Amino acid sequence: MAAHLLNRAGFGGPPAEIQSLAGLGHDQAVSSLIDYEKISDPTLNPDWAKPDPARQLQIRDTNRTGTPEQKKALQQEQNQLQQRDMLELRGWWLQRMAHGPRPFQEKMALFWHGHFATSVDKVRDGYYMWRQNELFRRLATGNWQQLLTEAGKDPAMLIWLDQAQSQKAHPNENYARENMELFSLGEGHYTEKDVTEAARSYTGWSLDRLNQKYIYRPGLHDNSDKTFLGRTGNLNGDDVIAQIIAQPQAAKFITAKIWNYFAGQPPSDKLNESLAAVLRLHGNNLKPMLRVMFRSEEFYGGDIVRNQVKSPVQWLVGSVRVLESDLPPALVSWGMLRQLGQDLFAPPNVKGWDGGITWITTNTLLTRYNDAQSLVQGTLPPLNAGDFAKKPGGAGGQRAMKILQRVRMGGVNVEKILTPEERENKNSLVASLQHRLLQTTLDGEQEKALEEFLDAKEQLNDADILTATRLIMSTPEYQVT
Amino acid sequence: MKNEITLQTRREFLRTTVLGSALSWTVPAFLANTLTVLQTEAADTSKQIITGKDATILVVLQMAGGNDGINTVVPYSNDFYHKARPRIGLTADKIIKINDDIGFHGAMGGFKNLYDSGNLAVVQGVGYPNPNRSHFRSTEIWQTASDSDRVEKYGWLGRYFDNACAGADPTVGVTIGNQLPETFFAKTPQGVCFTNPQNYRFESNAHPKPGQTDMTEESYKKMNELDALENSSPAPDGGPGMTPDDNSGGSIGSLAAGMPMTGGRAVDFITRTALDAQQSSEEIRNIAAKTQNQATYPGSPLGNSLKLVAKLIGGGLPTRIYYVSQGGYDTHTNQVNTQQRLLGDLGDSMKAFVDDLKAQGNMQRVLVMTFSEFGRRVSDNANGGTDHGAAAPMFIVGGRMKAGLLGKYPSVAPQDLFEGDIKYNVDFRNVYAGILENWLKTKSAPILGRQFEPMQLV
Repeated sequence: MAAHLLNRAGFGGPPAEIQSLAGLGHDQAVSSLIDYEKISDPTLNPDWAKPDPARQLQIRDTNRTGTPEQKKALQQEQNQLQQRDMLELRGWWLQRMAHGPRPFQEKMALFWHGHFATSVDKVRDGYYMWRQNELFRRLATGNWQQLLTEAGKDPAMLIWLDQAQSQKAHPNENYARENMELFSLGEGHYTEKDVTEAARSYTGWSLDRLNQKYIYRPGLHDNSDKTFLGRTGNLNGDDVIAQIIAQPQAAKFITAKIWNYFAGQPPSDKLNESLAAVLRLHGNNLKPMLRVMFRSEEFYGGDIVRNQVKSPVQWLVGSVRVLESDLPPALVSWGMLRQLGQDLFAPPNVKGWDGGITWITTNTLLTRYNDAQSLVQGTLPPLNAGDFAKKPGGAGGQRAMKILQRVRMGGVNVEKILTPEERENKNSLVASLQHRLLQTTLDGEQEKALEEFLDAKEQLNDADILTATRLIMSTPEYQVT
Repeated sequence: MKNEITLQTRREFLRTTVLGSALSWTVPAFLANTLTVLQTEAADTSKQIITGKDATILVVLQMAGGNDGINTVVPYSNDFYHKARPRIGLTADKIIKINDDIGFHGAMGGFKNLYDSGNLAVVQGVGYPNPNRSHFRSTEIWQTASDSDRVEKYGWLGRYFDNACAGADPTVGVTIGNQLPETFFAKTPQGVCFTNPQNYRFESNAHPKPGQTDMTEESYKKMNELDALENSSPAPDGGPGMTPDDNSGGSIGSLAAGMPMTGGRAVDFITRTALDAQQSSEEIRNIAAKTQNQATYPGSPLGNSLKLVAKLIGGGLPTRIYYVSQGGYDTHTNQVNTQQRLLGDLGDSMKAFVDDLKAQGNMQRVLVMTFSEFGRRVSDNANGGTDHGAAAPMFIVGGRMKAGLLGKYPSVAPQDLFEGDIKYNVDFRNVYAGILENWLKTKSAPILGRQFEPMQLV
């Protein structure tokens, strides 16, 4: 049960960590993860993660008055900066997940990133992506209404769903629609008319590009009456969100999605109604609902435990945690996650990742098996320029390949994860590795195949032990948690 | 000798019985044993036995995001059009004329060439009743060929696999990409996907001497074989106190009683995929390695995808259904530049693909069908973009087909619009039915749920 809790509310961990969690007792164990405010987090922000009005002014002026050559040079410089920042940001976040003191907060931030799925491919600014990520961290278990409102006014979202450009005449409907469909209510709980009325209400929500923050521009706002989900008046964006949250469906929508994220499958209607009731009872504060969830018997049911497909991030972060090793260099982690189908800060579309069994295709499964080799044995995975750039042959991909030639992979230290006895005795070795990696056992035939592999070696050396580790990670069983 | 189960028969067994499908793979193993026997006896003679080595092939190309059909096939001489699109309307000098009324977007020179050589049909005004303007729901409708108020579990090509494709070949359908499209979701085989054939393999850094087997790879194969599945505990809800019906004591309350099982064990699905990967990787790698492209493709993701499809067709992979996609069509802002780039890429990639297939001598066997989840509003918005709309044209490309203009261009006059959108003239399922019946030569009604008038495309 402690292993399941740590796997789901965090990113798993080695046997010792599971054991100490189990020693706390259930309620304390839950609290030790979700009441993370008590734990200090000394992580420093990337040094570029702040507004840069001088730079923005330079961009604006060049775009207005610069020569085509100047514009092009500036554009190239911006692209390079952005690529550098994004690489650092991806590594920074993975590091927090893998070795930071608050795994649950990061797991929730990852949930919100998949929920308010925003991509740097359109936002094109590392600072904005970092800022949104910090918002998800700050309100990770906070108030649902506050989060929905702040996420809508955050620069990354204003750009991503075009709200920053919307205006009175011909308002842009993108944010108005996706907010209801994907962020708050779900399809079928509003009309087409509600979409257009909401779009009119949101006008005025805008982006101050120089200071890189949200700004309300009264001149853009449509001041006439609108009728949205039954409420009429000169509504603004805040009113629309309040009206969305006033629908019982808004609580149900988010609790079902959170349950599905942690449990691995959707809740029954009745279960979800109870979760939503808890959320509403506590004024839309998420924490009490999450506590109920992780303390519930349902969460530990036979249909839930070891029945969730690990997302690529869970797979990568969880692997280095159980192997007690370091994350690969940021560039390699990024390449791996792209190949596995979960490129952080670049979800495929505003719906986020579908998750579940859709993580697994013939392609991504073989890639997982091969990446396991890289993680365990410290070799570079097969990555090529196309894995790093939208356009093969683009400058970004070439740069990445150059960096890749210089990076060093860590690999696993067998002495750290196995006792001398386990390293010499095949039976102990097989048992210990299974316990560490699966928290259960392989079935008889698989175990036999593994033993045959080891039996063929005269004397076990570290390389064989690493290959055995990789082989366990190259099974269907290792892909679930 | 005891009844030895070969890998092939095990695969068959897995496909047709134990797992059933991605979404309901819960038949206990003992039942499956019986069913295998029944299955063998009731050999279904209606199955298609020809393969993509010599039969017709369909390539589905998804234009994801909702392509603005009105600026793709442009009613350039229509006043209503220009009135509705003061910001992004295309004038006669910006398009490639098809006739006095309509023309291709200026970036689609490739398409004009195909049109002139009799290799392209434009099906105008395609849509469906009660259009949905959500990307995700509308994509699902197109991919499952459902009515807009119904949710289908399987994709329309998945149902083609189930209804018409015999056996257990994992390469029944091939997706170039990382993600399996819902179109392929099927009860039994749902095809494989990959991006780079050279990496589509189990890598081992053990380097056995010639003649020796690679122990690591051998062990991987054994650990990913079906035995694992046959011997696994029938575990979905196994264990005392853990069955769904016993869940009523849970602390979220008795409210949760009767919580439905939403599927079988995830690990069973992965085992099946692992088998598909193991079975298909060598064949695909070999075929891709031995075939050369005979045309120059754009270096875009779409160009690369079509390049790979051409290789696999040329190399004789038995696949009859390929799926490729191109994203980025959700043009709420600054549509002009984005569409210029995307449609240019589409036209150039398609042109290269056709040239390649012609050089191979396979053009007569291949049909490409494009689709996008919806078109866009007739009026542009204030940001030089367009919002989600309804009907749009589809393109059919092939060597042996009815080329030209099919269907009728929907009216863009304000009084003829519905909620700001053009109305469809052709239901997309008429196009699907035409492809199924006249191109893939199979009955369409069991696949599409009912009989749709097959559009005469061939």
